[in-house]
Amino acid sequence: MTSRLSRRTFLKTAVAGAAVVTTPVTLRAQAKTFKLGAVHPVTGPLAEPGQACRLGAQMAVEAVNAAGGIKSKGGVKLELVLGDTQTKTENGRVEAERVVTQGARMLMGSFDSGTTNGMVSVAQQRRVPFLVDIAAADQITANVAKSVAEGQQKVQYVYRNFPTGSSFGRKAVQYFGEIFAEAKVTPKRVVLMYCNDLFGQTQSRGFLAAYKAAKPAWTVLEDDVIAWPEPPSDLSTEVSRVKSLKPDVISPITRPASAQILLPEIRKQRLDILGIVGPGSPGFYEAGQIAILKDDVEYAMVSNPWANFKNPRTIQVAEEYKKRSNGKTFDTNSGYSYDAVHVIADVLERTASLDDPDAIVDAIKKTSFSSGLMQYAGPIHFNELGDNPNAVTTMTQILGQKPVAVWPREAALQKFVFPRPKA
Amino acid sequence: MAVGLTLIFGVMRVVNFAHGDMMVWGMYLAFVLATRAGLDPYLAFPVCAVALFALGVVVQRGLVDPIIEAPHEMQILLMLGVALVLENTALLIFGPEPARVRSPLARLAWEVGPLYVDVARLVTFAVAVVLTLALSLFLYRTDLGRLIRASADNHYGALVIGADVRRIYATAFGIGAACVGAAGALVSPILPFQPPTGLSLSVTSFNIVIIGGMGSLVGAFIGGLLVSVAESLGAVFLRPSLKELFSFSLLIVILLFRPAGLFGKRTP
Repeated sequence: MTSRLSRRTFLKTAVAGAAVVTTPVTLRAQAKTFKLGAVHPVTGPLAEPGQACRLGAQMAVEAVNAAGGIKSKGGVKLELVLGDTQTKTENGRVEAERVVTQGARMLMGSFDSGTTNGMVSVAQQRRVPFLVDIAAADQITANVAKSVAEGQQKVQYVYRNFPTGSSFGRKAVQYFGEIFAEAKVTPKRVVLMYCNDLFGQTQSRGFLAAYKAAKPAWTVLEDDVIAWPEPPSDLSTEVSRVKSLKPDVISPITRPASAQILLPEIRKQRLDILGIVGPGSPGFYEAGQIAILKDDVEYAMVSNPWANFKNPRTIQVAEEYKKRSNGKTFDTNSGYSYDAVHVIADVLERTASLDDPDAIVDAIKKTSFSSGLMQYAGPIHFNELGDNPNAVTTMTQILGQKPVAVWPREAALQKFVFPRPKA
Repeated sequence: MAVGLTLIFGVMRVVNFAHGDMMVWGMYLAFVLATRAGLDPYLAFPVCAVALFALGVVVQRGLVDPIIEAPHEMQILLMLGVALVLENTALLIFGPEPARVRSPLARLAWEVGPLYVDVARLVTFAVAVVLTLALSLFLYRTDLGRLIRASADNHYGALVIGADVRRIYATAFGIGAACVGAAGALVSPILPFQPPTGLSLSVTSFNIVIIGGMGSLVGAFIGGLLVSVAESLGAVFLRPSLKELFSFSLLIVILLFRPAGLFGKRTP
């Protein structure tokens, strides 16, 4: 009896001992993480999109980790090192430096082109691969690619999965033409309006350049392009000027705050137009904007990077995002940051070494990723400039107080309404 | 907006860098009253004024009063700190999205011949005129108003005649904040706002007050009109994107030729 009990005790002790000995090893393996610096404008005037980017990235990291982390590297988990630019251009560099010092081995960010440019120099100097999730200015990647091509720098560490400013313009002009042709109208007086900041200037220049190159049948009043200082306190004078031009279509490039002034002003001054069709900007599609603008934004169209809601996974993630963001739409900002983390996870799966930035860059160059949730023209890959040529925009329209993809046909969930019904 | 700023400066010589952020709080209060209690901002503005009066008194008594004799730069740093706290508290509570209060009045516009009249702006202007007149009557026709002016003119003189200058300063700061609370509620259906909006509102207020003359109520009122008209004319005759060039050029001209402002008094 005593002997049997002793044997059992021995066995129990042995099993428990083995568990104690092996557990720390397992825990150590589980604790291994790959730090990813995610820098966005989480406070300041661009806090809204910045917070959307951050939440999108956090959700994606949770999804990657829940699915077993980086499996080819023993299940290494992703860990975000968060940075906030406070919407100040100079903080792009400062925050990138800080997160890299805290151990970030890759960077993502940062929504606006000014701060992203600041992050580029840190990525290149400290050899930290950087995937731009959102920022449209062409020069962000083009300048680095040029300096590498000219031999001033050895390796390009900066890549982007977002449409460039020039591709925004090209796509907008293409969609405008196709929609006008489909609606059997040829507007002769399209008035371009834009917020006079770096973003507005880049977008309007890209649109006008693409328009000039395309020479379409419809006409933009190129000598009467109207800009306003951003943020505006009043746009009544600007809209009066537009009204005097007797426009067929108003094509605005807004920020959320200016859209809240512009659209009600267009209604108040009773402009008789075929519709409002924007070449690409925020302000029209966000849940908060629609709640405030209500019927003023109904039928407004804008060409923006947009999530592919034909994909059931997008709908699933969008539902979760809605719950975690107090009812917000899974949109351009949250969506592209979400996809960026998954592209990074895919790169880390394929890289020869997590500790060698050049090996990570080699894996980035060989990317062909088809599981993105945004609308792409093909698999995500990076061209000689470091941009994804398949990152494209979609024309969305507010229909029934919801943003709906209406063009191109392969992305459309509903037929567009253009010209808009008379009030 | 500018009347409140000029009152605070005129009485205490305190440059209130948190003025714009106080106005944003007036706007958010109007937003809460409209969305939670269904109160139209054109009716709710007295509530916002009272709430901001209380905030003003607390800020003055708790923070400004202890350093009222300190150099200007310390006061400026203090008010910048208050501005940062107000901005980031709003960010925590209300989030970063731009907000605007919906009001049926804000949807109305009259077409009078070739003219287009925005009813909400007209009402806001009318209320601003009435409030400025009421404030002038208060300052010139009531005992408390006279005491406020006496304290502004001569701090020691007011002490000598037995005035409770600390209470008067707190009241004046409160009234200045109440003005900006009312202004915030009144423009909340016209102007979208978010936590960082305060800075641009403060800059606009300073521009108006410097043009009109620091410490002058009439100056603040006329300065406001001048800045608006200058910007509108700039948008019509130049380019809309350059309209702020007009108002800030006006500021430079005034500083060069009348440093005390149009209605300000030169201090020895």
